[in-house]
Amino acid sequence: MAFIKIENLFKKFGKVAAVNHVWLEVKQGEILTLLGPSGCGKTTTLRCIAGLERPDEGDVIIDGKSMFSQGFVPPSKREIGMVFQNYAVWPHMRVFDNVAYGLKIQKFPKNVIKKKVAETLESLGLTGLEGRFPGQLSGGQQQRVALARALVGNPKVLLLDEPLSNLDAKLREKMRFEIKSLVRRMGITSVYVTHDQAEAMVISDRVSVMNAGDIVQVGTPEEIYKKPANRFVADFIGTTNFITGEISELLKERELVYVHAEFGQKMLCKIPDPAMASTNNKVNISIRPEDIEVFTEPREGKDNLFKGTIMHRAYLGNFLYLFVNVDHTMIRVQAPYDIRQKEGEELFLFLDPEKCVLLP
Amino acid sequence: MSRGNLFLSALLWFILAFFVIYPLSFLVFESFKIAGTNDLGIQNYIDFFKDTYYLKTFGHTLLLGLLVLLTSTAFGLPLAYILARYRLRGKTVLTALILLPIVLPAYAGAFAFIVFFGKQGTLNLLLLQLGLITKPINFIFGLHGLVFIQALHLLPFIVLSLSAGFTNIDPSLEEAAEVEGAGGFKRFLTVTLPLCTPNYLAGAVIVFLWPFTDWLTPLIFGQIDFLPSISYINIAYHFTDMYRKYMGIVSVVVSSVICIAMFLISKRWVESKKYTSLSKGTTLEGRIVEPGTFKRFWSYVYMGLIAILVLLIPTVLGLSAFSRRWALTPIPTYWTLDNFKLIFLESPALLKNSFVFSGVALIWGVAFGLPAAYLITRTKVIGKEALDFVITLMLAFPGIAVGVSYLLAFWEGIPLATLWIIMPLSLFVRRLPYFVRMAHASYLQLDVSLEEASEMSGAGKLKTFMNISFPLLLKGIFVGIVMFFIMAFQEISTAIFLYRGGWETLPIGIFLNWHRGMEFGIAAAMAFFMIVIIFILLLIVSRIGGGIIGAAWGSSGGRY
Repeated sequence: MAFIKIENLFKKFGKVAAVNHVWLEVKQGEILTLLGPSGCGKTTTLRCIAGLERPDEGDVIIDGKSMFSQGFVPPSKREIGMVFQNYAVWPHMRVFDNVAYGLKIQKFPKNVIKKKVAETLESLGLTGLEGRFPGQLSGGQQQRVALARALVGNPKVLLLDEPLSNLDAKLREKMRFEIKSLVRRMGITSVYVTHDQAEAMVISDRVSVMNAGDIVQVGTPEEIYKKPANRFVADFIGTTNFITGEISELLKERELVYVHAEFGQKMLCKIPDPAMASTNNKVNISIRPEDIEVFTEPREGKDNLFKGTIMHRAYLGNFLYLFVNVDHTMIRVQAPYDIRQKEGEELFLFLDPEKCVLLP
Repeated sequence: MSRGNLFLSALLWFILAFFVIYPLSFLVFESFKIAGTNDLGIQNYIDFFKDTYYLKTFGHTLLLGLLVLLTSTAFGLPLAYILARYRLRGKTVLTALILLPIVLPAYAGAFAFIVFFGKQGTLNLLLLQLGLITKPINFIFGLHGLVFIQALHLLPFIVLSLSAGFTNIDPSLEEAAEVEGAGGFKRFLTVTLPLCTPNYLAGAVIVFLWPFTDWLTPLIFGQIDFLPSISYINIAYHFTDMYRKYMGIVSVVVSSVICIAMFLISKRWVESKKYTSLSKGTTLEGRIVEPGTFKRFWSYVYMGLIAILVLLIPTVLGLSAFSRRWALTPIPTYWTLDNFKLIFLESPALLKNSFVFSGVALIWGVAFGLPAAYLITRTKVIGKEALDFVITLMLAFPGIAVGVSYLLAFWEGIPLATLWIIMPLSLFVRRLPYFVRMAHASYLQLDVSLEEASEMSGAGKLKTFMNISFPLLLKGIFVGIVMFFIMAFQEISTAIFLYRGGWETLPIGIFLNWHRGMEFGIAAAMAFFMIVIIFILLLIVSRIGGGIIGAAWGSSGGRY
């Protein structure tokens, strides 16, 4: 059931449409990520949900209540919790007062506030820091205070605007899982904004990829990784190789096509939608570096086996990262670490047709 | 640490020791002298704090400080909010007008307001003619008038510091409060305002201390029961009456101690409370909103009213300057250029003195200020913090203290006071911080790697300074030069104690013409002339770089 509905949301800054007629639903209790490069409209969308930004058109519906079209509901009346990119922990208030702020505004009795704040601080491992000022905390601790402040009032919706981007890499990785399990446990419907695809993969039930104000694809992390809707998604999520070409022959019974690839050879690829396969159609083939198999000897009778020359070779411990030149097309390959071939030497790449994704 | 820096530092310290520390210590020493004997003791201080008159004066001064602070805050707070947060057409011009009093001498405003708001002033006469009142209303003579004129004069300090606070707040701090359920006024009270307190305090301390340094404005309003005013009268007119002389000196010392103590406490507090934001993505202009029609209308009305009050000063002075025998009519009836003729033909020395003294002081100021700023920002030379400290302290020092101590120190022992050079010298010392702070601020904005790159290419320290630093600092230096000149040009508190016949400056001329009951028109014409000069200089400065002024005022108030 959709708990948050974004309907035809449109917002422009100057002449640029930051959010361009977006439709999106967030189910009750799920964590949905808005993922995209900077300037794609993800933060603006989030701020419209929060009420910090007013859309030019469209509406946001939270728990069946319209936030814009039937009179503007200000942020203070939306029962949401929000974690800001820079934490926005008030520097003039102690940790306790920061977390208790919203409860005090709602005029909870003192002992209830005390109990709730103590519980929340405990669940975030902040017990004992109540009396500190934010200036006396580390970045990670301030981040937790921001999280505690957002969660303490048991909000209907939790909004997180790149909450981990100011933390160092190690802490960031740890916090991803921590936030996820905490939010899961409390069952709060959450919208999470990030430009970091790895973060999105870890934290979300579903990911909504945005580009230039549009939502490009919505799906589980696995769906968007394995079946990217277009070249942008394939490129943005993880690393991939693009091979351009033209469809030359359709093998209907196996949902496969032959593509005349840019390096002058025929490639067999899986086709997700037969409608794409009117012949002579220009297409992009996407194949991930880790999906490419490497052979040192040619294999007879195997499709999609191409000879190439190693241009760069980097040892990354658990695997090798190779740049292989296949007739002037550079292909990135993640190869087993025991491949002995050096730069300048030849090897054979097997591009599994099942893993070659055809993009329009 | 290079030897050159050490030598430079020693030289600057020598100058400070001779021209600042030596005379000021003389002042303190003098205050401990017991009249009629050669003994030292705290008798003068005991007398001062036992004398009900001086205690009352002390209380008066404190009260005036508080009232001025309250008034300027009450009027400045909305103004600062409008300036910092609303997008309004013509805001730049209105801001410039509202901030104008910061460079105008306080006495110019006092004269203008007497003419306009006085018992026989324009406003009362108009109201009488319209039949709205039957007896003139006392708008300004009394404490309320002093509070009014000083609050208007000091409004820019409150507005500048508060609006800097409003602008610097990371927008997400307020948004977080909104999301947590605090709308509008509640958010302002719990988040916005507390976050501004360090900024506010930096400006507030200057405002609060003003009545401890300004002796002239109360005198113009016919009141003497304030510490600096009574010191002036005691020292300038009763130098032979030992008791009054010592009471005057003690009041100067007491005022100075209060000024410096308050200044240091607030500086300390501001620095400990500085809320450094983690934010990396905040916009430069903070959180500016498009106000609704209602707010827009009242913002304009409010800004307009204050701008009109400020504009009254040059307008009224201008009217007086171009007229004679303006009395008992709302506007002058007899127009003439006589006043200006008198100034230019009969006392051109006044103008010459003003320009020469300020000019000489300026040259010294630059010669001292540039190396000082360099040492403070760019080297690790021993005692550079102390150097910065002493220079900054001069901001808080009452001009009357400098004047009196110069009079005491350079009269008998080292008879500098018999030479005209004492005039620019005292100006240089009194306005010392203005140029140093400005040079300091522009040095901070200059990336040190630009200089390092020059040294890596083989240029020495001096070459690097001439080829790289100086051209890049030029804008800031120029603004500093103009600001220093403006402040030196209008200085009176120190000069009034030191001038002798033939050394009168324009401000002294204004004071004398008013004080000796000569034609008010001449005093007004002089003040008007001075405002015109200041205004022209100000136009030049704003053309060159408004940003640097803000930075320098900011740091001078101990803000950033």
